[in-house]
This record gives sequence, C-alpha cells and structure tokens, in this order.
Amino acid sequence: MSARFHPSRATQRGILGMVLLVAVWEGVARGFALPAYTLPSVSAILGSIWDHRQVLLAAGAYTFAEAVVGYVLGALIGIVLAVVITLVPMTRNAIVPVATSINSVPVVAWSPLILLWFGIGMPSKFVMVALAVSFTVFVSALAGLDRVDRRSVDLMRSFGAGRLAILFRLRLPTALPLIAAGLRVSTVRAIIVAIVTEMLGAYDGLGWVIYQAVLQVDFVKVWSAIFVASAASLLFFGLVGFAEKRLVFWK
Amino acid sequence: MSSTALQPPAIRPGASPSPFAPLAGVLLRGARGLAILLAVLVAAEGLIVLFGVKPWYVPRPSLVIGAILATPEPYVQGFLRTLTETLMGFVSGALFGIATGVVFFRAKVLKELIFPIFVVSQTIPVIAFGALVVLWFGNTLIAKAAISFYLTFFPVTVNTLLGLESVDPRQEALLRSFGAGRFQLLRRLQLPAALPQIFVALRLASALSLVGAIVGEWFGDTVGLGVLLLQGMYNENVVAIWAAIAMCALLGTGFYAVVAAAERALVFWGAEQ
Repeated sequence: MSARFHPSRATQRGILGMVLLVAVWEGVARGFALPAYTLPSVSAILGSIWDHRQVLLAAGAYTFAEAVVGYVLGALIGIVLAVVITLVPMTRNAIVPVATSINSVPVVAWSPLILLWFGIGMPSKFVMVALAVSFTVFVSALAGLDRVDRRSVDLMRSFGAGRLAILFRLRLPTALPLIAAGLRVSTVRAIIVAIVTEMLGAYDGLGWVIYQAVLQVDFVKVWSAIFVASAASLLFFGLVGFAEKRLVFWK
Repeated sequence: MSSTALQPPAIRPGASPSPFAPLAGVLLRGARGLAILLAVLVAAEGLIVLFGVKPWYVPRPSLVIGAILATPEPYVQGFLRTLTETLMGFVSGALFGIATGVVFFRAKVLKELIFPIFVVSQTIPVIAFGALVVLWFGNTLIAKAAISFYLTFFPVTVNTLLGLESVDPRQEALLRSFGAGRFQLLRRLQLPAALPQIFVALRLASALSLVGAIVGEWFGDTVGLGVLLLQGMYNENVVAIWAAIAMCALLGTGFYAVVAAAERALVFWGAEQ
C-alpha cells in the first residue's frame, strides 16, 4: 500500500518475500509431514483448487457479485449522505449521530438481524456489505468535502456561483482523492463481510463453501477457498485502485 | 466524541477536542451523553408505539432492556468473556503492530520482504481463518484472542511505520549531534513523534479487536456476546438479538472511549493539523 517509494526494488523484494513464504510453507508442511488439518502444503492446496475449480469459480463469482452490488449501494449511500450534509448543513446534526451510533455496533453483530429480515439469499449480503462500506465512504467523503478552503468557496461565491456549482466545480473535485481512498479501503472489507454473512446462512458463495468444508473436515478445501477469496479481494482492490489512478489523475 | 469518532480512514493524526480534559469535564460529558441516550431511547419508544412498528423489526427499547434485566446473567457473563478476548487480542495486536512497525522502519529490507505478505494476509476472510484457528488452538480463549489479534495488528503496523517515517530529519540530526544512540533516538524522539499516528490506529483497532472476538465465538462456544447473537438468530428471537447488539455497542463504545481517553492523556500536546 505504501511501499511505492522504490517501485522496482520494492516489487522485486515483495515477490521474493512471497516466494520465500511459499517455499518455507511447502518445506514445513512436507518436511514435518504435517496433517492437513494443521497445515496442508501449498502444492496440495493449489491441486485442490484445480480439482474443485468449477465449484470454487462459481462460488467466487457468486460472492463477488454480492460484494460488488453491496459495495456500489454502500458507496452511493455514503457519498449521497455526505453531499446532502454539505448542501443542507442543518441535516448534519441529524445524520452524523445516527450514522455514528449505527457504526458503534460492530458490523458483524448486525448480521443475525439482517439475515432474519432479508432471508439467507443474496439481499441480506447486499445489505450487510452496504452497511459495512457506507460508513467508511461517508466519513471519507465528508472529510473531503469539509476540507475545501473557505477562501476558495468565498471566491466562487463572490463570482455568483450557487451551492450546486460550488459542489460540482470545487467541493467534489477537491474531495475526490479522499473519497477514492475510502472506496479503495472498502473493497477488501466488502468481500470479507459478504463471506462472513454467507457463513451464517447462504445458498452459495465462498463462505458457504468454507462452512461446508469445515463440516466435512476437508481442510485442504477450506484453504483453497481461502486462496480464492484472497485472490478475489486482491482483484477487487486492484480494479478499484486502477480506476482511482485513472480518475484522480492529478494526484 | 463525535469529532474523534469521525476520523477519515485516511491515516492522519486526529484532532482531539481538547488538549487536556480535566476530570470534571469528563464527568460532565459523560452525564450529557447519558442524558442524550435516555432521551433517544424515550423518543424511540414513543415513535415505535406511535407508528406501530412490529417487534420483529425494532422492538421497543423497554422490551430489550427488560429482556436483559429478566436474565442478566448470560449478558453479564457474555460481556465479561467477550471483553477479555477483545483485550487479549487488542493488547497483543497493538504490541506486535508497534514492534513490527519499528522493525520495518529500521530494516527496509525486512519491510520490503514482509510487508506485502502482511497486506495479503488482510485479504483472508477472518471467519475462514477463524475455522483454522479454532482447530489449532481448540475452543479456547487463545483461539478467540488470536482472531482478534489478527484483525488488530495490521493498522497499527501501518500507522507506526508512517508515524516513524514522518519524523523531522533535522530533529534526528540534532539529537544525534548530542550523541544520542539509536535506542535513545527511538525512545526520546521517534516513538513520541509517531504517537498521534499510532493512536489513530489504536482507536480503529479497538473496534476491529471486538469484531474478531465476536466472530471467534461463532465456532461453537457457550459464553459470549457472539454466542448470544447466534442463539437469538437460531431462535428467531429478535428481542434477544437486539439485546446482544446493545451489549456489543456498549462494549465497543466503552472500549473506544477508554482508548480515546488514553490518547488525550498521553498525546497531551494534541495533534498538530
């Protein structure tokens, strides 16, 4: 995340670190002949991913869809609320305390309630992911919109710009880097929350696969689902990060 | 608290409302918070009765409080158990995070080798990790604390590193010219200078460690707030779920407040924004 100071060397070392980790992992797992429930070897996990590729791919796509829909919903809610506060400052005293108190409950604690309300299909996961994402995006959007220099606002106002014009020409562009950072941070969270909710109840998805595998005491399969989940998170993170670089090109 | 609670995820030192809060001020704020909470609960009660909201969605606060008071034991025990797990995970995660932050700061090679692994480790869904941890450590306190630890350490590592890297090199040069060694430099200048950043992460980590403890209890424990949540769901008892949610909020907010108070006391010079 922050290791961008010496791109080439840092990347090389990063890859080297990964390779070392895999080598040590494989060596320990094989050398000590660890049972699968302690630590299966990387090669065994990769083999299992290949064997279960259809199930895992379908489950991964299912979870990814849940995460993306919930993510978009949550991001929209967060940004819209922050914009509403900026346009109608009076609403700040209503929206901020409500948002803060909803957020004061750890997000996973909502999942039993959300599952009861929305059933164990996809909608409950949309809601959970949106809940987890919206607060982070709301906070960063609000911080970004508030960050605008008073003098710039006064200057635009003196030229006769209205609130909307100030919002679109000045506030949103100024806030964009922070909003984008909030969006980037939320990607991994979205996937994880989707999986956590799936484990409590679902028809499909990586969390469901993991839960089933735990019940069947198939720990190589648990690990292969973890690998796929990790890859999905990195993919989502990478996509949003790429979009951010394109969109916030001036940063 | 609202100004400290609303820190952006972007990592920077937070603005504490006051550099030094005397005890009277704390008490006053606490009393005001309590009064607001009471008012909100009464208002919620009234609105729910007025609009005839079904208890299935949002039960009246009096029902929820009544449920807790009717059988306080599991709630008190659950609260204490989850608090213990949270504290164990938080303390170990914070210490590990600060230690790795210092090590990465000192040895760039280690940072470049290991930091990417840390990043990737955070993409592992905690609950899947939980299944493994419970298998490794059994259904013990340690297992829950390990999950809580796993969620806690990463932000602390990142912010410790950022805080240490943002120390003014001229101050370092000055101290070094007085003959300060590496350890003294770290203790007298670099760690104190990084403290505001570290505390931003600790506030975030206080919430994350609670999440870890709750999720950890979902693997077949019998005591804890996470267990109460699950039991409420399986019995489709919405009042019980709300009661557990209220206890989680109490624990989370209380813990957050303690960490924030520690921040005000330790970072008394406040964050220079």
